[in-house]
This record gives sequence, C-alpha cells and structure tokens, in this order.
Amino acid sequence: MSSGNQRQAPLPIQIEDLTVAYRAEPVLWDIDVSFHEGTLTAIVGPNGAGKSTLIKTVLGLIEPSAGQVLIYGQPYEQQRRHVAYVPQRGSVDWDFPTNALDVVKMGRYGHLGWIRRPGVKDHQLALEALRKVGMEAFARRQISQLSGGQQQRVFLARALAQDAKIYLMDEPFQGVDATTEKAIVDVLKELKSMGRTVVVVHHDLETVPEYFDHVVLLNVRIIASGPVDEVFTPENLRRTYASRLDGAATDLELASAGVVLQSQEDGDGRVPNAQPDRY
Amino acid sequence: MDVFQTLSLIVTDYTLRNVALGAGILGIVSGALSTFAVLRKQSLLGDAMSHAALPGVVLAFIITGQKTPLVLMLGALIAGWLGVVLVSVITSQTRVKYDSALGLVLAVFFGFGMMLLTWLQGQNIASQSGLDQYLFGRAAAIVEHDVQTMALLGVAVLALVAVFWKEFKLLSFNPDYAATLGFPVRAFDIALTTLIVAAVVLGLQMVGVVLMSAMLVAPAAAARQWTDRLGVMIVLSSLFGAVAGAGGAIISSTTTRLPTGPTIVLCISAIVLISLLFAPNRGIVWAWLRQQRNRAELQKAMLLEKVYQVSYLEGSPLQTHPLEELRTFMRGSQLERALEALKQDGYMHLDEDGRWGLTPSGVAQAEAILRERPRALAPRPSPDGLRQGEVG
Repeated sequence: MSSGNQRQAPLPIQIEDLTVAYRAEPVLWDIDVSFHEGTLTAIVGPNGAGKSTLIKTVLGLIEPSAGQVLIYGQPYEQQRRHVAYVPQRGSVDWDFPTNALDVVKMGRYGHLGWIRRPGVKDHQLALEALRKVGMEAFARRQISQLSGGQQQRVFLARALAQDAKIYLMDEPFQGVDATTEKAIVDVLKELKSMGRTVVVVHHDLETVPEYFDHVVLLNVRIIASGPVDEVFTPENLRRTYASRLDGAATDLELASAGVVLQSQEDGDGRVPNAQPDRY
Repeated sequence: MDVFQTLSLIVTDYTLRNVALGAGILGIVSGALSTFAVLRKQSLLGDAMSHAALPGVVLAFIITGQKTPLVLMLGALIAGWLGVVLVSVITSQTRVKYDSALGLVLAVFFGFGMMLLTWLQGQNIASQSGLDQYLFGRAAAIVEHDVQTMALLGVAVLALVAVFWKEFKLLSFNPDYAATLGFPVRAFDIALTTLIVAAVVLGLQMVGVVLMSAMLVAPAAAARQWTDRLGVMIVLSSLFGAVAGAGGAIISSTTTRLPTGPTIVLCISAIVLISLLFAPNRGIVWAWLRQQRNRAELQKAMLLEKVYQVSYLEGSPLQTHPLEELRTFMRGSQLERALEALKQDGYMHLDEDGRWGLTPSGVAQAEAILRERPRALAPRPSPDGLRQGEVG
C-alpha cells in the first residue's frame, strides 16, 4: 500500500500457524495461508492431504490443536453470516423426506435465526438460487429422485441462497455429469465477477488452470500457494504428490493423481519449468 | 366381548380408560421421536437406552426398598442416561464404532440388570415381587397419575417439535451444515436424547424394557413408506404409534393372559408389515407390479424391434410370420403375452392364415425404438439404408 498506513483491510480468510491432529497424528501441520477478495482458489493435494480438514477447520467444525483462522480479521463465530459452505454430497442421506426447494431454503436459516420460518422473500431467494444452477424445474422434486449431479447443484444453490461473501466448497466436481460441471463453473465465474471469495477442494488437476486463478498445493503442509500461473508447476506438483517416504513421486503416482503435464507445455507458458523430455 | 362393549368400557372402565389413553399417548410421543431417531440413523439408541434402564429400576429398589413408580422411574432415568453417556464416551475415546458401542452397552447393562433381578428373587424378600413386570410391561398397573405425566411429556415433545421445526429438520438432515450456520448441534443431540430417555422411562411400565425399543423405530419406519414429506411423516408416525398403543393395550386388557407390551408391539409390527407391502411407490407389492409392467414393456419393445428387423431383411417391414418362426425371439407364454399386448396397441396384427405381422403404426414405432436406442445389440438397418434398400 502506498499510504503510510500499515493496517490493510482484513483479508477474507487468514490462516495462521494452523495445526490439526487426529489423536497424535497431524493432519495439517503449521499452515499459513490467506485468501484474497475476489479470487477463485483450488485446494489440491493427494488423498489424506487434509484438504477437507482445512476447510472444515476454517468453518469451525474441527477444533485446531494450534493456530487460528480469521475471517475478515475476526473468529468464524462472529462472521458466520459472510461464509457459505457446500459440504460433500456424500455427507448426507439423500433419502431424507424433503424436496429440493426445502433444502435450498436451509441456506436462509442462518439469516432467520431461531424459530422464525422462511418467508416469501426466502422463498424467492431459494427459487432464484435454484434457477442459477439450472434446477428451477426440480424445485418440488423429492431429493432422492435427483441424480448425483442434480443433488450437487441443490447443495450449491443452498450456498448461493446464503448470499455470503466467502464460499467454501468441498469437492463439488466429484463424480458429476457434464451439465452440472458447466453449471458449477458458471456459478464460480459469476461469484468471482461479483467480487466474492471462493475456495474449492478440487481433485481434477487438469482443470485447475481452466477453472481457477489461485491454487493451494497441500500435503499436510502447504507445498505452495499463489496465482495458478506461478505456482502450478510440475516441480511443485511433484513435491505435493511425493510419497512421504522417499520424498519423490514416481511418474506413475503423478499419472494416477491425474497430472497431465504434456497438455500444458505447449503454448500458454503456464508451466514455465516443464521439460518435455522428462514426460 | 363384542366391539361395542369394549368401546363402552373404554369410557366407563377406569383401568381400561387409563391403559388405552396412556398407551395412546405413549404411541404419539414415541412416534414423533422415532421419526428423528430413524432419520438420524439412531434407531438403536432407544434399544440401548431401554435395556440400559433395567439395572436402574432394580438398583433403585435395592437402595430405597421402595417400589413406587416414581423412585423406579428415577433409577431408570439415571441408568438410561448413563448408558447414553457411556456410548458417547466409547465412540469418542476408542476406535469402537457407534453401533458396536450401542450393542456393548445394551448387553452389559441388560445383563447386569437381569443378574440383579435374579439375585433379588432368590433373596426371599416378599416385596420384590412384581419388579419383573418391567421386563415386558404391565399396563393394568397404570393409574391416572401416570397418564397425566405421559400427557405432560407428550405436550412438551409436540410443542418442542412444532416450535423448533426448522431447527429439528436442518439438524437431522445435515448437522455439519447446521453447525456452520451457528445452530448448536451438541445441544440438539442432548435434547433429543433426553426426550427419548424420557419416553423410554414412561414406556417401561407399559411396554417393558425389552420391547420399548420397537416403539422408537417401528412407527417411523412405517410412516416413511407412505410419504416424502417430513411433516406428514411425523403426523403419520404419531398416528401409527397411537393406534398401535391404544389398540394393543385394549386387546391385551380385554383378553385374559395376553401381556400388554408384546401385544402393542405386535400391533405396530402389523402396521409396519402393511406399510412395507402396500405403501404406494415404496411398498414391495407396488414395486413388484411396477417391475412386472416395465419388464412387459421391454419385452414388447424387443419383440417389435426383432420382428421389424427380420421382416425388413425378408423384403418388407410389413412381412407376416407364422407364430413358430417368432418363437426364436422369445420363450413360450412370454411371446404370446407380448404379441397379444402389441395387437392391443395396434402395432401388430394377426391375419386369417394365423401369421403375425407389423401394422404401419407398428413399423413407425419400431423405427422410433431403433432411433432411440443407437446401441441396440442386434445389427440393424439405418433409416437411410432402409430407404436406399427400398429404392434399390
């Protein structure tokens, strides 16, 4: 900042010295990372890297062993209203007796507080959110009758109905159809254009440069974080997916993680260190 | 005793009225609570708690020497709660899973309770007799005061559910998400568990520890069959609970040597059975009928497609075939049923020589089927190829 004032506006999400452990085993180790206003960030890393744990800790669902998370400079409990969460689709029983619109209305419950029921305005907002994900025709559909992708879009619509500044999504692209994938990408773009901050746990490395502008490479520790152009390099990916025993991932491990580096070498220079002969 | 006499007895007979009312209210309460227990995958919680209550009942008697319901209920309440806390401690502190922890607590507490009960019976204490009624319940012992207590709990449960309707719904469907919105998941857990323990304790006298668990699972399981809406499900569940409770209590009271608890449980089981079989959409019978219908439709489509293909290859789609020739496509009675159905639809006809062939609308239908199923298993002429063939 050019002014003499050292105090900057608080960041949407600031994570400091965060360590989370299940029993004695650290799942996240000394995480320092922050997320800036209006960015689309993918959190990427192998299974067991602590991706979901990271966003659950931000949401206060998991108690950290050390460190803290600040949302606009304050603890999560005081900033709930600004944060919307899209849990993994598999985390609920979709045979629950309710319909899509009802689930989306749950996104309004935080604003309503105790006891008060959703009103006309909440109804409108829920329908609008369903429309944004292309699901308005399914508003009255029993949720067990929806396909996996449609269920995912209902969850996304529920978060949209929260009208938050920060969106945390846990694997929204997991096992969805092409229509849903496109709907989610459109929503992400719209959120970015509105200046919202979006953090997505993501498993498909191929689409990271296409869908996101920032990336956090995570494997218990932060391996690298920053703009995709600078950080999403083969070397960093190699380090992220390296097995913890020998410190170096084989090409097989990378391939099974979905890393296709060849496609990025030609042209756009997103992967400056790529060495064609090595792949 | 005929039905009319029974009904008039409910109004005039003090005991029967209490029993019917008490069991009905118990059914309403446990019906409403069972909805949440079942949806939260905690069906076995009630089971564990009711079994865990037995040693509480017996110990309360051993310690106080009294057999007044209030004292014994208090013992049951404490023991039931202790069981729940123990399950919670086991699941959070060890690697034992929730269902295993429930099973462990259930068995250990109940075993301990039975041991105490047996020991007590061998002690030659005259006043201990009757404690074993808590195993299977004895509705005749219900007095007006008990009914009032039950009614109070019933009103409290229904009021809580009505007031915190949206919270109950959210916390049952997606607790993690509810927590991120600031709703207290832990407090909800405790509140719901407390209500279930209270229902169990009230149900002990009526149904007994062994079978009370059924009242906390069966009504909701039956209700889920009939509806896809939570509100309707709770109302139905309570209704089923009430009907089974009151009905079972009346039947057992008016019949000699028929224990209350098992009779009530048999009544609710009958409702569950009917629901599993006959509920629209989810019921087994409807699912079976639907499957038969789908299968018949598929067989018709397959036959239409095959007749079309073979006729086409023989020169014209309108070519007719003797029945024997079509037997290669489908076995015995299936073939005749499918042909008859296709004739009804106007897609096939039977000529005077007993030969089957497609009608013009049948040809159109077969072509539509072939277009819709690009990956048909059998080789098929493309619509283009067909027209060229006709020209050639």
